[in-house]
This record gives sequence, C-alpha cells and structure tokens, in this order.
Amino acid sequence: MTLIKKQIPLLICFVVGFLTLSSYYVPHPVSEKYMEGINKWENIVFGFAFLLGLLSLFFSHYNKIRRRVPGWGYSIFVYIGFLMMVVPAFVSWGQQLDGASLTSLGWAYRFVFNALSGTMFSVLAFYIVSTAYRAFRIKSPQAAVLFIAALIMIIGKVPLGQMMWDGALGWTNVLVADIVEWLMSVPVVAGRRGIMMGLAVGAIVTALKIIFGIERQYMGKD
Amino acid sequence: MKSTLEKFLKIDRRLIFLALAIVLFFPIVRPLGLPNKNLGKDVVNIYNHIESLPAGSFILMSLDYDPATRPELHPQAIALVKHSFRLNHRIGIFTLNAGATGMIEEIAERIPKDIAPAKVYGKDYVIFPYQPKPQAVMTQLGIDMYAIYDKDRNGAPTREMEVMKGIHSVKDMSLGICVTGTALLDAWVAYVGDKYNFPMAGGVTAVSQPGYGPYLQTGQLKGLIGGMKGAADYESLINELDKGTSGIDSLSLAHILVIILIVTSNIIMLVLKYF
Repeated sequence: MTLIKKQIPLLICFVVGFLTLSSYYVPHPVSEKYMEGINKWENIVFGFAFLLGLLSLFFSHYNKIRRRVPGWGYSIFVYIGFLMMVVPAFVSWGQQLDGASLTSLGWAYRFVFNALSGTMFSVLAFYIVSTAYRAFRIKSPQAAVLFIAALIMIIGKVPLGQMMWDGALGWTNVLVADIVEWLMSVPVVAGRRGIMMGLAVGAIVTALKIIFGIERQYMGKD
Repeated sequence: MKSTLEKFLKIDRRLIFLALAIVLFFPIVRPLGLPNKNLGKDVVNIYNHIESLPAGSFILMSLDYDPATRPELHPQAIALVKHSFRLNHRIGIFTLNAGATGMIEEIAERIPKDIAPAKVYGKDYVIFPYQPKPQAVMTQLGIDMYAIYDKDRNGAPTREMEVMKGIHSVKDMSLGICVTGTALLDAWVAYVGDKYNFPMAGGVTAVSQPGYGPYLQTGQLKGLIGGMKGAADYESLINELDKGTSGIDSLSLAHILVIILIVTSNIIMLVLKYF
C-alpha cells in the first residue's frame, strides 16, 4: 500500500520534475518533444481543475444554504450568476459574436459580467480615498517619509498635479516628473529587487524540496 | 473650535464617498480637457520600439485583463492595436485569462468598424482561442506554437493563414506585449522573454507599475504602459485621443481630492496637538 500511496507518486514527481527542469536548459528536439507533451497535458489538467473548483464552490454554497448560515441568501446569487453566464454560453456554442452581432453569451458578458465586475472593482476607489484620509497621518518619522513620498507620487502622476507643482514650485526648476522618476527607479526598484530575489530563492528551494520528496503536502495526509 | 476640528478628523466616511462621487461624475460627463504634457519615459520607449520595427513585423499581444481593470487597460490595448496597424505590422491576439475573452471580442468587433477598417482578418491579424494554463502556452510558444494554436478562435486552421506566414514560434516574431492586471507579465519575462531572447513589453495597472522597475532597468522589458495615465500618454503619442485621455480628468480630480484630504487631516492633527 505504501508503494502505491507514497513511493510511486514520489518517483513520478521526481522523474517528471527532473526532466521538466532539465528540458528548460536543453534545447534539443527530444526535450522539445517532451515539453510539447507536458504542455498539452498541463493545459488539459488545468481545464479540469476549473471544473473541480466549480464543483467545490457549488458544494460549499449548497451547504451554506442548507444550514441557513448567516448571509446564506448571498449564496443563491452564486447559482444565479452561474446560470446567467453558462446557459447563454451553451445556447451560443461558446461564441460571443455571430458575424457583427452579439450572441446571448456576448450580451451576458458585455452587459452583465462587464458591469458587475467593473462595479466591484471601482468600489475600491472609494475605500482607498477614505482609508488614505485616515492612514496618511504623520505620527512618526517613518510615517512622514511615507507621507512625503505618497504626496509627490500623487502629484506627479496626474496632469493637474503637475500643473499645480509648476505653478507653486516652478521657480525651483525642479520638475515633479523628475522626482517621481527618481523615486520609481531608485528606492522603489531597490525594494522591489530585494523582494524578487527573496521570492525567487524561496521558489527554487520549494521546487527542489518537492522534486526530492522532502515537501510532501501535495500528497495529502494519508 | 477644537471639537469642530476633532469632528472633521472623524468625519463620516460616507461624506468622503459622496465627495469622490461628485468629483468623478462631472469630468466623466463633461471632460475638462486638461493638457497631458509629461509623457512617461517607459511609454515613449514602447512607442519608439514599435516605430522602429520594419513593416510586416509580427507582434504578439497577450491581452490578459478582465472588466475589473478595463478602464485602465482596455484603452492601452486599443492604442497599441491602432499603432501597430498604422505601421502595417501583423498582429496575433490571444488571452490567457478566462475573464478577458469578451474584451478581445470587443476589439475584434471594433477593428473593422473604427480601429482599422482596411485590415483583413487572416491576412493582417488573427485571434487565437483562450487557453487555460499560461506557463504551458508560454513554453510551447517558444517551441512550436501550432501544437497549441493550430486553430483560431472560430476553429479555422491558422497555419495556412497569410498573417502567419513565416511564423513558427516566438523566435520568428518581433515583439510580445502583455497587457494585464495580473502577474502574468512576470511569467512572460521569465518563460519567453529571457529564455528565447524575445523582446517583451507590457501594459499594467497603475498600482502594479512600480513592481516592473527592475525589468525596465535591465532591458528585460522594452517599455511599459502604466495605468490610465500611461494609456493617455500612448494616445497622445499616436495622436488618437480616446478613453484613456478622457479618463485622465477624473483621475486628476480624484488625486487632488486625496491630496486635499490627507493634507487637511495632517494640519488638523498638528493644530490639535500644538495649539
């Protein structure tokens, strides 16, 4: 049983992981053929992962409705939203345009999904402004640095801000765009580069741990 | 006096929401036409790179944004398509984001109407179908793209299309552009740009723009369009003012509102502390 549940999956993971990693560095027809097969498999498996995610979502919301947990009414909208997109998709055979006119799927995307998704995201703007009013208060030297940097970035990123800067501080011959450019290309890049290097090292270590069977969480608890 | 200031410091956030709604509403209804003078260096770089390509070059556009980021990214994509067509480049469009298919269909609908009516599908441009696994697609694009994209989004074989003449993988293309509100541009740089020495450029939301500084400094990205300001810059460069430019007025006023609010709150805090 251990052979089927542990050793064979670990061996498959090691062999596939090692071959895929090697193929990245070996531009040979054999490795390219291997990668072609892996890429097709990945695409297919990923498609099925969507289906699995959908089923999991449905069961999760079904249980919420069945148990009448607080806010269960919102779960009904998951099914309504699903039907509003999937039924037109089946009716239109997945096509959004029929010649120059919209199919029912195209209509649902443009006038339902588009509007709902845009609304959800745009609400963020209101929260950001409200939060900025409370968060950018200078209570320490670090907060002062954050405040000054944020203020310059906000002013420098829009034409009206640039016009205000030129009007008030134009006599200094220092352009706000130049300060923004410096902020973006020196301190921001330095910080970002550090984060990227840390992430890359972490990703390499995790990948090696999975390939060599040290990290086994993907196999479940059994 | 002091109690009034304290009240202002704890202002009901619904009033801030209302102020922002008013500030955003008027420029949308009636644009102010503020001049967009300082064009972003990275936007100019991507424009210059496309200008420097010989006519007939193949540009691959991965449009990976959904309606949530549409106001920032759709004007960028439209401007890039207009510019590429104006220079008679060939374009291949696809997405690796399931929510973006309708955005691409909208572009497909607009190309014969107002973007480039003279351009012919299959000869000047092609639209590939959505594929679910980005890294698999990117890796395959460097080997043999027809293993994944042998048909266009309507099921027509792509290999025989005139637009695909001489194109086998990204090695035969001149530029790749990823317009996205996700981290897909990083994957494009790692899996395609760096591995195959393929020139890449990007269009991203304003909030994620600072994260791409390292790629721009090392030349891994030839240019970057950031947010609505970037879209407005690009529209100015190609002299086709559109949604990016009209949105910049609202953006300007919203930014000024934020400045007024945070400066006011800090002044009040100082007054309450020292007076």
